[in-house]
Amino acid sequence: MKHLIPEFEKLRERFPAGFESSLVLPCVRRIQEDRGYVADSDVEELTAYLGVPRIQIEEVLSFYTQFRRKPIGRWHLQMCHNVSCSMRGAESLLTRVERKIGIRPGETSQDGRYTLSVVECLGSCGTAPMMMVNDTYHENLTDEKLDELLAGLK
Amino acid sequence: MPGRQLFMTFPVTATSHSLAEYRARGGYLALEKALKQMKPSDVTKEVTASGLQGRGGAAFAVGRKWQVIVPDDGQPHYLIANADEGEPGTFKDRWILENNPHLLLESMLVSSYALGVRNCFVYIRGEFDLPYRRLAGAVEEAYEAGYFGTDILGTGFACDIVVYRGAGAYVAGEASGLLASLEGKKSYPRNRPPRLTVKGLYQRPTVVNNVESLSNIAGIIRDGAAAFKAVGTPKSPGTRLLSVSGHVNRPGVFEVELGYPWMKFLEEDCGGILHGRAIKCVVPGGVSSKVLTGADIANLNLSHEDLWDAGSTLGSGGMIVIAEGTCMVTLLRILMRFYHHESCGQCTPCRHGTGWLHRIMDRIVAGQGRPEDIERLYYISKFNDGTTICGLGDAAGYACTGILDKFRDEFEYYIEHKRSRFDGNLECLRSS
Amino acid sequence: MPEIFINGQAVEAGAEQTVLQVALANGHFVPTFCWHPQLSVVGNCRMCLVEVEGRGLDIACNMPVSAGMKVLTDSDEVKAHRKAMLQFITLNHPVDCGICDKAGECTLQDYHYTYNGEASLSLDAKVRSTKYYNLSNRILLDNERCILCLRCTRFTHEVSKSMALGVERRGDVSNIRPVEDRPLGEDPYSDNIVDICPVGALQSRQFLHKARVWYLKPTPSVCPGCERGCTIQVWHRKPEWFLKSLDQRQNTSIARVTPLENPAVNGPWICNKARDLARIFERTRAGEPMLKGRPVTVAAALDEARRLIGAARRPVALVSNWGSNEELESFKRCLGEVFHCHLKHDWLPEEGERVEDDLLIRADKNPNSAKARELFHETGDPAIHEGTDLVLVWGEGFDFARVPRQAKVIFLNSYLQPENGHADVFLPVSIQTERRGHYTNFQGVVSAFEPCFEKSRGVSHAEDLFKALSAPAREHA
Repeated sequence: MKHLIPEFEKLRERFPAGFESSLVLPCVRRIQEDRGYVADSDVEELTAYLGVPRIQIEEVLSFYTQFRRKPIGRWHLQMCHNVSCSMRGAESLLTRVERKIGIRPGETSQDGRYTLSVVECLGSCGTAPMMMVNDTYHENLTDEKLDELLAGLK
Repeated sequence: MPGRQLFMTFPVTATSHSLAEYRARGGYLALEKALKQMKPSDVTKEVTASGLQGRGGAAFAVGRKWQVIVPDDGQPHYLIANADEGEPGTFKDRWILENNPHLLLESMLVSSYALGVRNCFVYIRGEFDLPYRRLAGAVEEAYEAGYFGTDILGTGFACDIVVYRGAGAYVAGEASGLLASLEGKKSYPRNRPPRLTVKGLYQRPTVVNNVESLSNIAGIIRDGAAAFKAVGTPKSPGTRLLSVSGHVNRPGVFEVELGYPWMKFLEEDCGGILHGRAIKCVVPGGVSSKVLTGADIANLNLSHEDLWDAGSTLGSGGMIVIAEGTCMVTLLRILMRFYHHESCGQCTPCRHGTGWLHRIMDRIVAGQGRPEDIERLYYISKFNDGTTICGLGDAAGYACTGILDKFRDEFEYYIEHKRSRFDGNLECLRSS
Repeated sequence: MPEIFINGQAVEAGAEQTVLQVALANGHFVPTFCWHPQLSVVGNCRMCLVEVEGRGLDIACNMPVSAGMKVLTDSDEVKAHRKAMLQFITLNHPVDCGICDKAGECTLQDYHYTYNGEASLSLDAKVRSTKYYNLSNRILLDNERCILCLRCTRFTHEVSKSMALGVERRGDVSNIRPVEDRPLGEDPYSDNIVDICPVGALQSRQFLHKARVWYLKPTPSVCPGCERGCTIQVWHRKPEWFLKSLDQRQNTSIARVTPLENPAVNGPWICNKARDLARIFERTRAGEPMLKGRPVTVAAALDEARRLIGAARRPVALVSNWGSNEELESFKRCLGEVFHCHLKHDWLPEEGERVEDDLLIRADKNPNSAKARELFHETGDPAIHEGTDLVLVWGEGFDFARVPRQAKVIFLNSYLQPENGHADVFLPVSIQTERRGHYTNFQGVVSAFEPCFEKSRGVSHAEDLFKALSAPAREHA
């Protein structure tokens, strides 16, 4: 995590004095962006750098769904299965993804390419059904669009 | 077009969100006017006079919330735009963040001026990547143009902004849960008292407003409260962005002048129901708002008072249209799963109640429902109403009883026959 | 001072008080799990919901008083809500009472009987979680029993400051967990969380499955671990519930130690050393008097001791700072003129033991230095030098190598030590749990301890010995 400290120092300057605790979420996000997940050593080093209780960082890592402490596949397929998406075919799309890749939600493919998750509303209900792949929203999915999307993920 | 427009007054293009085009539309004139011609208290007075109601869910008068802030009390004040938008069916703040981020920024500057805020924040849900990048880009543009920083427009006013990303928690959309998250901790809401406007972020006076609520401020200051009140209804001034999804031909974000007829909106602007089917019911404003049937809404206008009178609410502005042939039991199960997943777990009734509601619905949908289950659902909802630290517990109960009240027969059928009357269908795939 | 009404009764309230505080102070009981007078308010259990006229129900622990407010703590609405909160709490709570140590002193049991009493309304299986989580080498955590009141986490953040506990995940799969570098094991106040846990989620390994609490009685006592002198309760088997077994040790041993609340000294807390007093008190005891290792009667030992005292020209006594106020005064009275008396420090801090902090722990690891100092000199100077011909050692912590070769030794001690057999006269004495008495702590506060056990026959109370030793030697026939 140490190579990220110059960035963290710049980030610290954006916040008012006394806001060190607030740095936990953005620093964790940046660490995860960099490594792909947050390692135990990162937790230790971030605790020392920020001076917050270590338990606070551990709690944050387990509370928020976007943070992870283990690596996942190269492409994180996050399919919304909340109401509006379900009303526009999310269930059958999910089945299609499962069949095409051969994994179920919560699993990672053997070749490490895909991790599949079902997620709650992503705020894209008007373009349902949709899926988030890593950071990108893929909206108005149809069987064809889905196939095309999956084929393009190397 | 559903009435007069205040937001969607320009064509959305690949560059319409830029500072240059925003300025060309009259952007940052409100800021100029506020800083150079008005006192902070004048701004608050104008906002109060406009009658602007919160657009996050509660429709609480924005001016009234602001008035709790004591100017010159010697301590820092904070303003936070709630861009956590996690309510299912709601995606209208996203429209502002992606397509008109400078409107929010200018509004936040004007609001910060009024509230004596030196540091303001936008708390944006972690999953919103494109909206975040648009907003962050706009912030950079604004800093470069001197709209943020010190001595803004040469008036001595100083204001800085930080865009803070969440990380996947619906409960962080609750104002005090948001503060906990912004303080770098797990998103546990707080008991009130004290109100957040008295002790908020790091125990300082804090105003948390929805993105759309704040985005109205620039227009109110630039054109005046009277002009704002001239739009909409006396009890619901202005317009609302409504996110429409579900079984309509044209889902999306619409700006609706408050008071506009509901059925007209659905049939004309939203293109009517898929495959010409009849409306079964509508979730008007977020999934905890009570569902209304086609008959209920036939003569209603889209205003706060009309919906309150009908026993529901415009809430978050997330409207979900449900066609005939949809299984409401299967639908409710999704909602109960959602609340269970999102409960922070702090307080007894919500922590256990949301899990219980979910498990009962799972069982009913699996064909193992029992006659007592319906009473249990009501019991759990009743004792989550007004007993919890935040509104999540109550919301789960309202979502549940709202659907049970209107569609109890479907639940009784499912329990008795161990299957859905509609084959568990949620889609609208063809004419009836 | 605003006046408010609770159940129709007008009561004076402090302006900064909460309705809960005012209610409890005026005899209107309101049940709570998460609220604790020494911890911050979290308001998560929702048991303290009360009804306020014109406002409906809200929790009392976070409710400021306002003049004229009318509060009802037992209305039908309140009762119905309490029942419902208990339904929720017991929804996933395992029915472990039969094997749970907390039975008999469990707040959830008590409230269930008082306020609910009905079976669960759930038709679904309970949510399962970890049953035997190793929170530290002293404390076991059962997550299924846990009601997430967060008293334990608040304690480690606000009182002991070890920051050792937190909550992982969310919703009904939340679990209390220790921080991963495990400072709970290094937190000398950790066991207080077992006391304040309102259910049987936190269990002390020392006490695990040892005895049902209703077979035990708590005797008030004082911890001798340092000069703070925290008041404690020493739990041991009630005589009427003595086990009829060949090994009688269970009937004569300390089952556990808990705090005795004391606003003047330790509040509701004690440190783990007090919990471990069996480690001190249940070391092998010296059972009978000896003359140079040869067992004799008490009378014979006393005779020889008196003879030695009569014959000594420069006798020195090393007085124990584990002696009670009564024993120390008795020594001074009976033998103060006979001996050159010096104060000995029986115990020094052990390796790895926290020496001092700003909560409870003091550097002086003896219970009665204050009184001893008042009556006797500190040993600084050479209390023992070449001219010393008799050394009377009372208590532990003395280096016998300091005794001049020709000097005689009278040794009064409780525990088995090789030096007992080398002393010219050895007399075993009782320990704190076998008599009553008082200690004076470093602030001058005097606290009392009561006896828990009978002393054995060969053992004498030190006070009796001092009186006996001050009588002139009997002439041998």
